[in-house]
Amino acid sequence: MDVLSGLAHGFSVALQLNNLGWCFLGCFLGTVVGILPGLGPAATIAMLIPLTLKMDPASGIIMLAGIYYGAKYGGSTTSILLNIPGESSSVATCIDGYQMARKGRAGAALGIAAIASFIAGTFGVVALSLMAPPVAAFALSFNSQEYFALMVLGLALVVLLSGESLLKGLLALLVGLWLASIGTDLFSAQARFIFGQSELLGGLDFTVVAIGVFAIAEVMASIEDGEESQILPVPKGILNLLPNWQELKACRFAFFNGSVVGFILGVLPGAGATIASFVSYGLEKAVSRHPEKFGTGVPEGVAAPEGANNADTGGALVPLLTLGIPNGASTAIMLSALVLWGVRPGPMMIQESPTVFWGLVASMYIGNAMLIILNLPLVPLFAQILRLPVHMLFPLIFGVSMVGVYAATGNVFNLGLLSLFGLLGFVMRKLKFPATPLLLGFVLGDSMEQALRQSLMMSQGDPLTFVERPMSAIMLALAVIILISPLLGRLNRARLRAITENG
Amino acid sequence: MSKRTLLAAMFAAIGAFAATTAQAEFKPSGPIDFVVHGGPGSGNDVTARTLATIIEAEKLAPVRVQVVNKPGGGSTSAANYIYSKKGDNQVIGLYTNIWLTDPLVQEAATHRLVTDMTPIARLTMEPALIVVRADSPIKSMQDFIKMAKEKPGQMKESGGSITSRENVVRQIIQKATGAHWAFISFPSGGRRLAALLGGHVDMMILEPSEASEQVRGGKLRIIASVSEKRLPGFGDVPTLKDSGLPGDDVVQARGVVGTPGMSADAVAYYTDLLRRTTQTKEWKKYLDENSFGGDFLGPKETKEFLTTYEGKIRNTLKEAGLKVVR
Repeated sequence: MDVLSGLAHGFSVALQLNNLGWCFLGCFLGTVVGILPGLGPAATIAMLIPLTLKMDPASGIIMLAGIYYGAKYGGSTTSILLNIPGESSSVATCIDGYQMARKGRAGAALGIAAIASFIAGTFGVVALSLMAPPVAAFALSFNSQEYFALMVLGLALVVLLSGESLLKGLLALLVGLWLASIGTDLFSAQARFIFGQSELLGGLDFTVVAIGVFAIAEVMASIEDGEESQILPVPKGILNLLPNWQELKACRFAFFNGSVVGFILGVLPGAGATIASFVSYGLEKAVSRHPEKFGTGVPEGVAAPEGANNADTGGALVPLLTLGIPNGASTAIMLSALVLWGVRPGPMMIQESPTVFWGLVASMYIGNAMLIILNLPLVPLFAQILRLPVHMLFPLIFGVSMVGVYAATGNVFNLGLLSLFGLLGFVMRKLKFPATPLLLGFVLGDSMEQALRQSLMMSQGDPLTFVERPMSAIMLALAVIILISPLLGRLNRARLRAITENG
Repeated sequence: MSKRTLLAAMFAAIGAFAATTAQAEFKPSGPIDFVVHGGPGSGNDVTARTLATIIEAEKLAPVRVQVVNKPGGGSTSAANYIYSKKGDNQVIGLYTNIWLTDPLVQEAATHRLVTDMTPIARLTMEPALIVVRADSPIKSMQDFIKMAKEKPGQMKESGGSITSRENVVRQIIQKATGAHWAFISFPSGGRRLAALLGGHVDMMILEPSEASEQVRGGKLRIIASVSEKRLPGFGDVPTLKDSGLPGDDVVQARGVVGTPGMSADAVAYYTDLLRRTTQTKEWKKYLDENSFGGDFLGPKETKEFLTTYEGKIRNTLKEAGLKVVR
């Protein structure tokens, strides 16, 4: 079946009234789950599996996938409004999203996030329908060396994110990498840095670190600044709550960048949405005419990572549906649902279960349209939250943070850790250490260490393995260029100064 | 406290009192927590949810069975959690081999399945298949061993941690043959398979259901099975024993364990519930689809089985030169 007839068949499935209903239900649930920090799409899908057992496989997967990509739309809401990243893939959105909210452009940021999600999400589905099998071959070509180089490239972008001091950025990054090493080592099955706490055997939970150093620290700093009545201005009138033409125009490249980067990195079983969102953000900053404004609330700083985060969905379904390889918890649980229904994702799925495959793909075009229609009207509504006076808003943020952490981990011990990381974030802020490199080191540290050790085990300890493989050599070279470019810039300025002084 | 909650508390207290006096009849008083050691979508999580779904669909229990994910430290977080619920009749867990292996090699894993918890049942014995890429020159286990001997340390196998079944099998074969190859750990089954399909490693041990799909798609070749008999549906695949190698008895055991000090009538209740669950058509279908075997074992036999199996794994790990701490 070629792509066009496949898609036509898919739409004939997805447009059936009951499937439209399931698609909407999935997208709606996904949006809700995405907005609530802590309750992730994977846990939601897992809970719903028993209810879907009697469903037709196409309807079932249409609904479960709706939860998966719907959650990505909702994920930006708390990042932008409250500086609470609900998932690791929305950390990058916090950087400029929350700053936009501080400048009174919360509605605009939410609107841009929704539009970027729609454009990139649709791009991801188009790419999925057009070139799933060849792209799957590309995904398999990545070995541990390439993953390591990719992570290094991602971390090198920290330099671009770290603000004033390169040294402080790198220090924060190192602490993040160390935090990632807490827990049980995959290779030796031995515990590292758990300080006798068995709760730490599984490592630190993302929500604890992220919500601590971002949201809790932010509120503490605001309280110290003695902000009164209302921290953030919220403009009057619906139109002022939506992105204006100028802001949208600034995002043109970001929409494209997020789409492409998100899809490509989404396809790789060892990469995924988090690294995609950071790479896309870093790329946007690298090509920008005003890179210094990043971090102060530029719309393209929201559009790029949010786009990447959503294009990732289409990408992640490529290895799942064509190879039977899930690249994360949500896709793993979708795989087991398919198996329970008697559909076997793998090399034969497109030929043998065209109704499920093409029905799902077609439903994602429809679902993305539903999501933007569902999400845009919510923007002005959510932006109103910031009208709350601080004596209500701050307890609200604390409450949402604690409920989020407890929901994600089910463990009171982590509430103690949350306050510890809140304090750490506050101290870092006082000493002018940037928090983003710490978080980036934390979320990428695990994969990076694993990739490094796998590579060296495969090469029997020979480090040259990283430069012998062309893809990994190119990415490492890029990382080096990124790392030394500010130094070169400084040298160049010093040289120019010397010339003018002498002249 | 409002009047209603006070009343509810009183009734609960009376209920609890009644439960302790009428020992013979255990009935779960609320949802049953079913603890698994992986996150949503992991192998153990899927088995637990399959069981829970069958119990729900066939109305085998008066209450819901909810899966509780306690990932971390292999099985250690889940084992710690069960241990912390001492005497709780509402909490059960789904164990696999690594519940036996982890306490043997991990300093931090202090709670052993056999001695510190209450074994209830053994549900499955899961064989596995040894696979290579379809275009690989390796056609049999002998081919692989030969190449591993020619290039010591250069052949590669993808797998989980060193406490996983894959590594136990590898250690046994390495010891018997003198061959040596690298064992590369990956965090998930998907990553292990991707590494093999991409040609970055030479061999891996895979579940039969997953392997058959890749074989049908022309991506993988099966060179041996880790099972005591040839598997139905894989009649032309030799077992390790057929290939002249040991290790065919290192199968993945999976079953249910209760909290330490769980009451005898609760154990009896769960044994009965699980026995009825494993007699359903759906469960039999699940076993067939996955080529799982193993007879249902009750509490006493399960404990004997686990004790023997733990001893065997301990010996294997010791012989392989791993540091055994318990």
